[in-house]
Amino acid sequence: MKMNLEIRPILSALLRSKTGAILVAIQVAISLAILVNAVYIVNQRLAVVARPSGVAAENEVFSVGIDNRKLDDHAAQIAMQKQDEATMRAVPGVASVIRSSQSPLSRSGSTTSIALERKQTSASAHVSYYMTGDSAIKHWGLKLVEGRDFNPGEYLEIDQSSSKEFVDVVIITKALSQKLFPGEASAIGKTIYFGLGDDAEATRVIGVVERLQTHGANKGSKGEESVILPIRMSNNPYAIFSVRTETGQRDKVMKDVDVALRAASAAPIIVKTRSMEDDRRKRYRADNGLAWMLIAVCVLLLLVTASGIVGISSLWVTQRRKHIGVRRALGARRIDILRYFVTENLMITSFGIGCGLALAIALNQLLVSKLELTKLPTPYLLGGSVIFWILGIIAVVGPAARAASISPATATRST
Amino acid sequence: MLKYYFLLGLRSLRRNPALTALMILTLAVGVAASVSTLTILHVMSGDPIPHKSNRLFTPVLDNGATKGYVPGAKPGDTQLSYTDAMNLLASKQGERRAALYGVEMAIEPARKDLGAMSSAGSAASSDFFAMLDTPFLYGQAWNADSDTKAEDVVVLGRSLSEKLFGNSNPVGQSLVMIGHQFKIVGVLDTWEPSPRFYRASDAFGVYDQFFIPFSTAIRHEITHDGGMSCSGGATKPGWQGRLESECTWLSFWFELKSPSQRQDLQAYLDNYAKEQYKLGRFQRQAKNQLFNVMEWLEEAKVVGNDNRLSAWLAFGFLLLCLVNTVGLLLAKFSVRASEVGVRRALGASRREIFTQFLIESSVIGLVGGVLGLLMAFGALALIAMQSKELTVVAHMDWEMLALTFVMSICAAILAGLFPTWRACQVTPAIQLKSQ
Repeated sequence: MKMNLEIRPILSALLRSKTGAILVAIQVAISLAILVNAVYIVNQRLAVVARPSGVAAENEVFSVGIDNRKLDDHAAQIAMQKQDEATMRAVPGVASVIRSSQSPLSRSGSTTSIALERKQTSASAHVSYYMTGDSAIKHWGLKLVEGRDFNPGEYLEIDQSSSKEFVDVVIITKALSQKLFPGEASAIGKTIYFGLGDDAEATRVIGVVERLQTHGANKGSKGEESVILPIRMSNNPYAIFSVRTETGQRDKVMKDVDVALRAASAAPIIVKTRSMEDDRRKRYRADNGLAWMLIAVCVLLLLVTASGIVGISSLWVTQRRKHIGVRRALGARRIDILRYFVTENLMITSFGIGCGLALAIALNQLLVSKLELTKLPTPYLLGGSVIFWILGIIAVVGPAARAASISPATATRST
Repeated sequence: MLKYYFLLGLRSLRRNPALTALMILTLAVGVAASVSTLTILHVMSGDPIPHKSNRLFTPVLDNGATKGYVPGAKPGDTQLSYTDAMNLLASKQGERRAALYGVEMAIEPARKDLGAMSSAGSAASSDFFAMLDTPFLYGQAWNADSDTKAEDVVVLGRSLSEKLFGNSNPVGQSLVMIGHQFKIVGVLDTWEPSPRFYRASDAFGVYDQFFIPFSTAIRHEITHDGGMSCSGGATKPGWQGRLESECTWLSFWFELKSPSQRQDLQAYLDNYAKEQYKLGRFQRQAKNQLFNVMEWLEEAKVVGNDNRLSAWLAFGFLLLCLVNTVGLLLAKFSVRASEVGVRRALGASRREIFTQFLIESSVIGLVGGVLGLLMAFGALALIAMQSKELTVVAHMDWEMLALTFVMSICAAILAGLFPTWRACQVTPAIQLKSQ
């Protein structure tokens, strides 16, 4: 009841000197609008960064690229690859090694178009494809949800420069299976075509893995549309392998593998090792960078807004010393003075929050139209409002306490 | 009198130190945020070759298959196929023509202590150097003859040259690259166009360490370091298959004598596309496009949305800081109503009061601006420390710096106007009476 009685005099006092109140309200509105949108973007980015790649224990996996080999004939190259694998397996701490044309998140790899029928004129999906010389499921610890892994006899050795030979069987990811065969119980046994038209290669799906991110780890479900092919390729000057190490030994093993490979080669070769952790960090660097920048901006926003409220409230306290003294002399308690300032501040921030919500939605609309963002969910608006109410109260408590401590005797003094 | 007001302004910084510090800090943070994001945006979207950016053109042709083609749709790739690049090189259009693609090559230095390394560069036809006005430290570009004979020659970038040969002039020596002896014909001085517009992908990647003739790279079958799109029908296996295919993986630039010749070049391209259509290629009959450097940066989306977002945010933030400063200045000035009353009673005109307070708020703006600038330097240094790629981007541009600095002081003065006007409204009689 008392609250209601107070609101009217506070409002009429506010309407007499609007400037300060409007300035505070504008600050609250601007920072609420920016904060809500920024937090939303941060959450979206961090959700993208947190997606699993499908590879188990990523911290124990690294990739090795070998370059500057004189390329002999097909058979010699395949033998060389196998010899390199043996060299790496012999390094202490190495758990497994496979030849794989690319690794997840590495941002370097190949995509191809996939169709469900030969007569199709446009692709059903564009997928990232892993050509592996041994079981990627075992090596990367992928979770097989349907079907089976490749049999040893299904792995082919293909000369990229002269042969058009292709495999008969593939393993796809669950995301791809859902995209190609929506609503169907199983993708096992289905035929998919690599490429379009008469030259397209028909393959049969024999297995589905729960998840394997593409080399680019694109946003959305596209980031998991990958296929695994049982192919070992020759005639690519740059051979890539993936190595898994025993727990906790990755950094040491990475150095040892490098040394072992160089020592095993007569001619100088270039060995590049890169941990999956590093690949992940590089892939998401922009997202992480933006997220941290936005978080920093949000903290600064709150600080600046709080300082604005403190500044203006202090001004009011100074201006109204006499008025407060009179009220105190007429019987108002300290708590009444405190409540006056807090209520006043709540009214101003509420007005600011109201404007801020409209501004936040408008800003979000702008971002949706210009920067391909999605629509802001309501909880963010509510959460933002609560934050500013609390911030307003915290900021005003100091000056209000100072006001409450003004002695009633002030009323009797002339200054 | 102005000097006196200025000194008064400086002195008043000490009065009410908490409030003043808050004001200056707020302004400084706002200025720092906007200066640093604007600098990044400016460098990223800046003109990398201002004196001829409107005379350099890159063509985009659509050689995709008609299957699944929706008329009017954008071409799948903005690069060219080998067939088209060779035809355009031979076209005699414009002053100069250059085809190029990114390559990564193994280098075996003569110095045994260095070991084999791999390095990124460009394979380009000889006009490239004159077209982009690359500065030479030693030697010169190879000539068109080396192009035709596909000779093993190389122009080194300055950093690679210094890494391999120290500060000596390596022109005339040879370098083992991918197992072949390449003769060094020239060394570029530091040349870092930002963004690196001339190749389609990776505009802020590492700068090219070396350049070899386009024809030589083709002869050695050096694969491209970058994207390739193969939407146009079947491809045969092997290198020859790639050269004959409709796969697009090459960049191409024309230099024209004047921007006005654009129409002629466009007409030539349209004509070329028609001819190719008759020959059974370019079945989509899509529109052929030409982009000059700045249009190309826009088309290739060199400035990411994230950077625009940051810049907008920084401006929103600066706006907030300004509103905050208005409030704080108002607080600062209002407690001085009695001082104004006395001065007015002693004969100061409103105009004089206005000048005094405006100068005082400018002093705050100046201090906040300088502090903000220092903070921006710090922020950019911090960003540069984060990654090599951003070092290229985050170097300060003095012109830009001066502009943002002036802007921030203007903003502070603007913020000071309203409180100053309010300060002038003091009626001396009432002020004096209440004393």
